[in-house]
Amino acid sequence: MSSVLSLDKVPVGSGGLISAISSECDRAGRLSVLGFIPGRSLRVVRVAPLGDPISVSLDAQEISLRLTEAALIQVSVQP
Amino acid sequence: MKPTATIALIGNPNTGKSTLFNCLTGLRQHIANYPGITVDKKTGSMDVCGRTLEVVDLPGTYSLKAASEDERVVMDVLEGRNGARPDLLVFVVDATNIKRNLLLVSQAAELGLPAIIALNQCDAAKRNGITIEVAELSQRLGVQVIETVATRGRGVEDLKKAVCAALDHPSRLQRIEWPTCVTDSREMVRNGVRNLGGGEISDAEALRLIFDADSAHAASLPNQSQVALMIHSAREKIRAGGYSPGSVESVLHYRHIERLLDGVVASVGPVARTHESVDALLLNRFWGLLIFLGVMYVVFQSLYSWAGPLMDSVETATGWVQELVGPWLESAPTLQSLVVDGIIGGVGGVVVFMPQILILFFFIALLEDTGYMARAAFLMDKIFGWCGLNGKSFVPMLSGYACAIPGVMAARTLEDPKARLTTILMVPLMSCSARLPVYVLLIGAFIEPAYGPIVAGWALFGMHFIGIALALPIAWVVNRLYLKIKPQPFILEMPDYRVPTLRNVFFRMWERGREFVVRAGTVILAFSVLIWALLYFPRDASVEEKTRAAYVAEVSVSSTVAGVETALADPDSEQFTVLQQRIDGAYIEQSYLGRFGKWAQPVFDPAGFDWKITVGVLSSFPAREVIIATLGILYNLGAEVDEGSDDLRTVLAQEKWTEGPRMGQPVFTLPVVIGIMVFFALCAQCGATVAVVAKELNWRWAAISFFGMTALAWISAVLIYQVSGLFV
Repeated sequence: MSSVLSLDKVPVGSGGLISAISSECDRAGRLSVLGFIPGRSLRVVRVAPLGDPISVSLDAQEISLRLTEAALIQVSVQP
Repeated sequence: MKPTATIALIGNPNTGKSTLFNCLTGLRQHIANYPGITVDKKTGSMDVCGRTLEVVDLPGTYSLKAASEDERVVMDVLEGRNGARPDLLVFVVDATNIKRNLLLVSQAAELGLPAIIALNQCDAAKRNGITIEVAELSQRLGVQVIETVATRGRGVEDLKKAVCAALDHPSRLQRIEWPTCVTDSREMVRNGVRNLGGGEISDAEALRLIFDADSAHAASLPNQSQVALMIHSAREKIRAGGYSPGSVESVLHYRHIERLLDGVVASVGPVARTHESVDALLLNRFWGLLIFLGVMYVVFQSLYSWAGPLMDSVETATGWVQELVGPWLESAPTLQSLVVDGIIGGVGGVVVFMPQILILFFFIALLEDTGYMARAAFLMDKIFGWCGLNGKSFVPMLSGYACAIPGVMAARTLEDPKARLTTILMVPLMSCSARLPVYVLLIGAFIEPAYGPIVAGWALFGMHFIGIALALPIAWVVNRLYLKIKPQPFILEMPDYRVPTLRNVFFRMWERGREFVVRAGTVILAFSVLIWALLYFPRDASVEEKTRAAYVAEVSVSSTVAGVETALADPDSEQFTVLQQRIDGAYIEQSYLGRFGKWAQPVFDPAGFDWKITVGVLSSFPAREVIIATLGILYNLGAEVDEGSDDLRTVLAQEKWTEGPRMGQPVFTLPVVIGIMVFFALCAQCGATVAVVAKELNWRWAAISFFGMTALAWISAVLIYQVSGLFV
């Protein structure tokens, strides 16, 4: 069972495969540079104490991004 | 020796690129700006195999995408837009995250420049369980790959040899094979730009125009609207080929890189990264914030307690040099005053900032090199993010409470140009330590006697709070209304924790200190001399005679003229001192700045300021800390008063209006006192800060900052006086 959520809704500790990134905007282009591209797997490591940003592990790196950017990334969550 | 070739270091942020640059060039570096923008151009020279090479350290970047002017620098250098193209690219690649680092390499391969690769942080990669077949990788990439550990200087000699070899026998990176939809639209854009009068552009530039939704390169072409239309249809062509134009570049490069790394890089499974357990503590909801506050407390306590005595000794040394040099020039009083007050005082006024700059950058280098800075930004981002700043604004803003100069310089830690600009504009609003004497004087003279120590304490707190309380909303407004730069996502890499090397830390301190002296110091010195002249000239000798005559007439009421003259002939007598103080006061009143103050008093009248306060305010524009000494001279107490001086407090409390509608009423009423303090809290009364803002941004922004803050200060003081007048 997997469900598609935008990354800002994915609970801490969960993760899955990136299914889509909302296209056409510059921010998506920047995310893609860091490896946020469909097919890659990621996991939400933690949320900042004040609720934003979140930190995500992707490949060999850990990257923090704000919820507004996370909302552009669709993740098919795997348990 | 004249450099025979230029090599450029290029790589992602946090790869150790700057450390490698330092290893290669040592102290033979210089920093300048790229033409027209404020990005540092760091260049140095190095000697290898009998020749001298120029080394350019390009700004760290994840890709060649350029939405802002700042980001265009890398592409401009690589395309040779500001001079010759580099003869060799040295890519600095972080071995612990090789896949992402190779994206930039793969993009830059389009440029067709000779290249080699420094595979840095190999030790950390091994610790993380990553093994890389270097020979095979080199084979597949088509260029030399050298393993380095820049922090320990390992592999640097090999790298130098490789540079020599590559200059003699250049080899180029394998370019990726684009699908026809990309190559077709690339040709379309190249031809289109030529037809629209934009001249010849390279394959790489054509690709940048297509892939970057708002390319900064497009802004430099003629016929903007037609270029935009053409790019739009090029992107449609890519979409028709089955790719998303926004991400096609990364998707295809990563596909290429994954093939390239297949069988070359092996990782022993997903090892627990060294930093995860530390992060669990340092980013914890409770402990994380507590430790953060603790770290910041230590940093700023040290800044206060270490810099204080050092600054005092700079001031003592300045005074000592002034006393040493003064007597030599006794015969030429104007030259004496210029050298002693204008030049030596001005040099002292530059050097006095050095302790704070060095100490702050010592800590910033520690915080950045350990990897904690990224964590601090992660913790703080929410507080600053809503108004266009970001988590990294915290350290510059907090440093602003000690002094705006190191704070403005510390804003360099922000990569996002818009957030950096906004942070620089807000830092001078933080209540720096030079404002404290004004608060202490006025609170001590008017608020504490009337309302007691508790209210006085709150007043002091309020004065420190008002800057930041206004700064965040102002930042929001500035961002919304004025800044045309596109907002950038706040994307932050969480680097592994590392042990910083002292060598690197001291290098950073040295770099910043030297830069401040060279770039801002000269401007501050010029300001100092200018203000000295405005306060000294025209120095009409009749001022002294008239003051003397008036004083003699005044004192001889209770004594004989002869008696007064005898007393005045004795430089140790009380009368002599009083007369000297009055003469100093009269000269300042008669100086150009004093006359301007009297003339400008109506401007400050709505805030309830009399001409003396106005002159004090105006003469504080070069450096607000002079206000106390200026007030001392204006109230005929001499320049030696300090903020705790009872004489000055008493004189201020007794000061009455001598003319106009408020004649006979006290000048320093509560609204005026609060107005003065708020004025000092908000006004841009620091020539050094203006100079540093100009050097970090440009003179246009420095002027905006200066006039904006001054207007804000004036409006606030007037509002306080006028609104309180409605209730009294």
